[in-house]
Amino acid sequence: MSEVIYLDNAATTAVDPRVVEAMLECLGPGGDYANPSAVGHEPGRRARARVEQARAEVAGLVGADPAQVIFTSGATEADNLALLGAARFHRERGRHVVTSRTEHPAVLDACRQLEREGFDVTYLKPGPDGIVEPAQVEAALRADTLLVSLMHVNNEIGVVQDVGAVGRLCRARGVLFHVDAAQGAGKLPLDVERDCIDLLALTAHKVHGPKGVGALCVRREPRLGLVPLLHGGGQERGLRSGTLPTHQIVGLGAAFRIAAAEMAADGARIAGLRDRLWQGLAGIAGVALNGHPTRRAPGILSVAVDGVEGESLLYEMPQLAVTSGSACATTSGEPSYVLRALGRSDRLAQSSLRLSLGRFSTTAEVDFAVQVITSAVARLRSIAPLPPA
Amino acid sequence: MTAVDLRYGDEVRRRMASLAGAGTLAPGPDVIVGQAGDRERGAEVILQLRVAVEQVTEARFLAFGCPHFLAAASWLTERLPGASREELLHWDWRDAAAVLAVPPAKFGRLLTLQDAVRAAAANWPGSGAGTV
Repeated sequence: MSEVIYLDNAATTAVDPRVVEAMLECLGPGGDYANPSAVGHEPGRRARARVEQARAEVAGLVGADPAQVIFTSGATEADNLALLGAARFHRERGRHVVTSRTEHPAVLDACRQLEREGFDVTYLKPGPDGIVEPAQVEAALRADTLLVSLMHVNNEIGVVQDVGAVGRLCRARGVLFHVDAAQGAGKLPLDVERDCIDLLALTAHKVHGPKGVGALCVRREPRLGLVPLLHGGGQERGLRSGTLPTHQIVGLGAAFRIAAAEMAADGARIAGLRDRLWQGLAGIAGVALNGHPTRRAPGILSVAVDGVEGESLLYEMPQLAVTSGSACATTSGEPSYVLRALGRSDRLAQSSLRLSLGRFSTTAEVDFAVQVITSAVARLRSIAPLPPA
Repeated sequence: MTAVDLRYGDEVRRRMASLAGAGTLAPGPDVIVGQAGDRERGAEVILQLRVAVEQVTEARFLAFGCPHFLAAASWLTERLPGASREELLHWDWRDAAAVLAVPPAKFGRLLTLQDAVRAAAANWPGSGAGTV
């Protein structure tokens, strides 16, 4: 086992060696490194072919047509392009947006920007299990609702939303539907046609691809207009200017192709590891699962550990790479807003751990993690005042 | 290669490794207690001090809090033996902050420690309050 056990795959993953190999073919002399827009020469056309192959691989993972795929720098940009781009383009249709309180900051902050631009945003509160029921969405819809945004898999607690039900509901009401699938794509089946998703944000680095690249799938039939965020060379049908990073895009495509081919096997194995981890931790008194017990992505386990302080718990476990609260907000020191939205107290939110598994996680690592956490909790509790009766 | 967590200085790391001073004293008429904080607010401490001949002779702590807070409690239990009631009443959290390089965002937690020291002083034998 390596020096530190990596259990933070919801933050990012190691790049699969097969993906690295594909990316390397696009970097050095003799490789397909040319500008894919320079189709006037052979190297440019080869690079363009690699980009288009990757586009087809991305589309293939989510049941889309390759023409729907716009490459971006990641899910954050894809979310921003979807929300800001669609709202600005269609602002005359309505100024109301519906989302949930447990969305990623890429969505929440984009919604706050829309509020500054005069939109009205409804933030739905999930149940204690983290689920936003389709009926809640339906009840929030108004005559002027333009857009609903709901994440597929929550990045902190791993619960899976019924995006298909919400998508069908939105489609029936003529409301645009955006899904942040950064955590779910490649791990659970998604289909933009079946699930009636108009805008789907994707990223590579959560599924053993490289950081710095993602995609937005945009509905084509009927065509959905967007106002671009970036202006320049007019790449990606004018929706995302900037030289296409061939090696990154090829890495995204390879990661998604592998994820599609191995989703069932990987999902079953990783879910088994997650359940083994939970069974081990559930034996510690005062440990509780955060989020729905069964509607979960395979790789994410979030637990509240009563009777210990979160920062000290992390300190006591230098052998483990795990996070306390939201990975995107851990530097703030504030309790996780996701866990608080579920009704967890500040203290339990602060003493929660997110452990996330990936393709390279092993049974030995899981068993070691249980030992380390059990020991750390026992040490901290041994020096703590007795909790109030 | 292991990267050191730069949020914590050497003294915090040293004290977290041993947690010297953690635990309790056998109850008795010569043991006074100072308690402060609230775990719902992220920091709670119980100080137990054995007192003889107008001086603290022994100190222990139980604490719930971040590594800086636990390290400060540990450091304090080594500083308090020899202290008089008057010195407890005037103990200042800034001493611990300087030694342990506590970041300003956590100064409030050290005030919790100061409250516990002063609560113990208020329980000093002969001051009218109780012992355990």
